[in-house]
Amino acid sequence: MQSLKAGHLDASRWERRLQKELMSLMKEPPPGVEVDGDQAEQNLSLWTVHMKGAEGTLYEGESFQLQFKFSPKYPFDSPEVTFIGSNIPVHPHVYSNGHICLSILTDDWSPALSVQSVCLSIVSMLSSCKEKKRPPDNSFYVKTCNKNPKKTKWWYHDDSV
Amino acid sequence: MASILEIIFELINNMLQFFRLGKKSISNSLNIYIKSNTGSTLSIELDPKWDIKNVKEVIAPKLGLPPNEVKIIFAGKELDDSITIEECDLGEQSILHAVQSRSQSKRSRPLSESVANLQLSNISENDDSSSTIEEQLESSEEKGIKNTHFYVYCSQPCKSVRVGKLRVRCANCHSGALTVDSDPSCWDDVLKSNRITAHCEETRCETGPVSFAEFFFKCAEHTSQGEKDEAVPLYLIRPNISHVPCLACTDISDPVLVFSCEERHVTCLDCFRQYCVTRLRERQFVSDDRLGYTLPCPAGCENSLIEECHHFRLLTSEQYQMYQRFGAEEYVLKAGGVLCPQPGCGAGIIIDTDCKRVQCVGGCGVRSH
Repeated sequence: MQSLKAGHLDASRWERRLQKELMSLMKEPPPGVEVDGDQAEQNLSLWTVHMKGAEGTLYEGESFQLQFKFSPKYPFDSPEVTFIGSNIPVHPHVYSNGHICLSILTDDWSPALSVQSVCLSIVSMLSSCKEKKRPPDNSFYVKTCNKNPKKTKWWYHDDSV
Repeated sequence: MASILEIIFELINNMLQFFRLGKKSISNSLNIYIKSNTGSTLSIELDPKWDIKNVKEVIAPKLGLPPNEVKIIFAGKELDDSITIEECDLGEQSILHAVQSRSQSKRSRPLSESVANLQLSNISENDDSSSTIEEQLESSEEKGIKNTHFYVYCSQPCKSVRVGKLRVRCANCHSGALTVDSDPSCWDDVLKSNRITAHCEETRCETGPVSFAEFFFKCAEHTSQGEKDEAVPLYLIRPNISHVPCLACTDISDPVLVFSCEERHVTCLDCFRQYCVTRLRERQFVSDDRLGYTLPCPAGCENSLIEECHHFRLLTSEQYQMYQRFGAEEYVLKAGGVLCPQPGCGAGIIIDTDCKRVQCVGGCGVRSH
């Protein structure tokens, strides 16, 4: 009956979930994905994920870094996910500042998704790319956008790539 | 009406106590009301160890009937002679119905118990549960509480979410002297009207003896306060028999909240609270014309809005007040009204179309144009 009582919210609830996700991502990472476990354990709200371009795709041989930022509202609120580092993939949905136009990162986010499923979506987004190019509005967007990509009102116009 | 009944109960109770002097005293007794279909009510002390046959022997003379002509009805079932009181999930001041047998009907165990064995805990619109009766019994034994299959919001006197009991009455005359023809097998049978036929023993019932069963819930955690004492069923809260992990924290808890989407997404109650608070603070509840201010499944599934808003009583009282205030404000704004701009007032005002000057009458009295 304990859980029926509406007590104070457990502040570490989101951290417990992240801890679990971290463990499973370190134990069984999807191919080409590797999380920086030491960094994440020091600060659970900021993760760096190393990602390799899949073989047989335009990104074969390249490696990228993804940054995940989590708020205490996670998983009811989506993580803030951007590419960071020196190599930002050239892709029609990835801006040169690292922002990613992907619906599951904002409108289509669900608490049933996870870091792993976001990584898989991004891998598959890169893998299905036919031509390496920046989004058409890249230079304007990069100059005017908010630092947080979640503040951008995205138009998800192309589902094929 | 209720108070008159209470006074009568008390009078009868006092009279009976007078008669009872000198009789063998019962330890650990239950005070139960017996209602007959002729309108009289008796209050008796019962030993939980007694069986129904004993009860009949005690009450038959008081009703002026031979014991073998008395039927005892409780929670939609005629009770068999061999059942003991403690098996019946009877609380202090429960009401048993005693009627003169018109015919010999099938006797059985009370609804609460037979239903517990009928997977009602897991009932859904299309029940495809594979859990066995054994599993269910095991889960209730683990918690040490009998019949923890329903959760309710008890508005009086508990003012909180509680374990509930399923009860039944005649849909026409509201008498509890009713035996159901079949047990409900899904939540729709319980929540929607006229799905289960029943036999009403109330002599004053106009449609009787054939009638429909009307199900309702009582709080199991306070002494019954009479026939008007009801609680709102929180039917999305269910025992987690198949150990489904919470979609947010991935812990396996019990009970859980099961959303009405096709996937039947599950959250634990703490994550449900967190979900509500997060959405509430961002004013991201949905204002539905039919259901009011509510939320869908956190995974955003279609047709998953919470229909019974009392589920938000899982929040703390301050959070629930915020929910009520935001809900009311959204409603006023949606109806074309305005909110008083005075800080701390915020009263809702619906303005007449030809009106140019507005005064906040019920709230703070500020005038504005």
